[in-house]
Amino acid sequence: MGSHIETELGKLKGIIIKIGNLAESQVTEAVKALLSEPVAEGKEVKKIENRIDKLDVKIDEICQSVFALHQPVASDLRFIMSAMQISNEIERIGDLAISIIKKSKNIKDKHDLIVKFSITDIARQVETITIKTNECFLTRNESTIGEIFILNNTIKNESDEAIHNIINEMKSNSKTVVSGTNLVIVLKHLERISEHCTNIAEYVYFMINAKIIKHEKFGDKKFDTDNLD
Amino acid sequence: MHKIESKNINFYYGETQALHDVSLSMKENTVTALIGPSGCGKSTYLRLLNRMNDLIDNTKLTGTILIEGEDIYAKNTNVDDLRKNVGMVFQKPNPFPKSIYENVAYGLKVNGITDKKIIEERVITSIEQVALWGEVKDKLKKSAFELSGGQQQRLCIARALAIQPSILLMDEPTSALDPISTSKIEELIYELKNKYTIVIVTHNMQQAGRVSDTTAFFYMGELIEYDKTKTIFTKPSQKQTEDYITGRFG
Repeated sequence: MGSHIETELGKLKGIIIKIGNLAESQVTEAVKALLSEPVAEGKEVKKIENRIDKLDVKIDEICQSVFALHQPVASDLRFIMSAMQISNEIERIGDLAISIIKKSKNIKDKHDLIVKFSITDIARQVETITIKTNECFLTRNESTIGEIFILNNTIKNESDEAIHNIINEMKSNSKTVVSGTNLVIVLKHLERISEHCTNIAEYVYFMINAKIIKHEKFGDKKFDTDNLD
Repeated sequence: MHKIESKNINFYYGETQALHDVSLSMKENTVTALIGPSGCGKSTYLRLLNRMNDLIDNTKLTGTILIEGEDIYAKNTNVDDLRKNVGMVFQKPNPFPKSIYENVAYGLKVNGITDKKIIEERVITSIEQVALWGEVKDKLKKSAFELSGGQQQRLCIARALAIQPSILLMDEPTSALDPISTSKIEELIYELKNKYTIVIVTHNMQQAGRVSDTTAFFYMGELIEYDKTKTIFTKPSQKQTEDYITGRFG
């Protein structure tokens, strides 16, 4: 028989997995919308967004009551602290995915631009990092955390390069300014999703090792990424 | 030099070994919390520090306990002097059936202080130290039993302080008190830390977290882990400690 706090923490873990999966599905829809693949109906996307918001509030409520009633310490304390932060990050991932879906509708000649600036790769990598983030929370696998840090760095570099090229294109061809600007915004959103995933990985690392690594630069993270593929 | 230094302590009640090879040192002007489940040896360890276990028959101690560098179990140790230096407060308030004033003055008188002026000064200072003066100054001649449980406990602390110890041992000092009285005692411990070295046995994890600088976790007579309180409650190194403080023990 588990203790009361164990029941609450189990409940919390279940909700985080659920909200993580919902955000992951929103990111998948966002990538589809960007790559002009068939997407779920707007109503469905909105419904999931509402569910994410409700679960985010639910997580806050559980954390508040665990703090007030159980005074968690050690690994329990780290889990609760991380849960509050992770839920916040996931909720933002959901919002950014919605924004990408909306912006994607306003990009003319989207397919040509996406091919020209190699955006498909970036979008697929963002999908991957979202999946890996849910996986790392579930398995608490440190090597997955390392993979997330590396992937985030790649996404950032490739996105920077794509934005640079899009700006140059807009400078030389004023007809591409509207679409180019929207595409830059979408790329920035994709980057932010990747950043939020990295933040989640950092909280998972904190949960496992009781060591705070946020705000450390990628190369400075006291984390062995050398042996990862 | 540590204020209290115990090395390889083994202690037996008859055939039963209550402490196994415990080595523990405490710095001056710090608060150390001793935690662990009932019967783990924390109170036994505490009582060794002012030789209270000497009063129990058929006990045996091996190892060394040094206070200010002196072996308190050496043959030439004056136990009365030791207990003057190492005061103790118990779980339940235990005032004497005397007036509030006499409760605090009693220890001074039995220790040979006869100068009324000195006694009065010490009584007032001690009662002030425990933040009780405002509550009792107009009824010093009344019986100590007229005070609330929390006030009685603070009076007992004042009684211990009056003989000017440098170490204060507290054996679950708030377990019989309501939350407000508990909070006052905890504030008091925080204040007293500047002048005294305090060792407190507590079953209340949050209290250990709030009042102590270092925490020692005992289990089945062994010292499992001893570290800064912050470390014990955020990242204990031993699984047994983690299980105990998170309530997953046994």
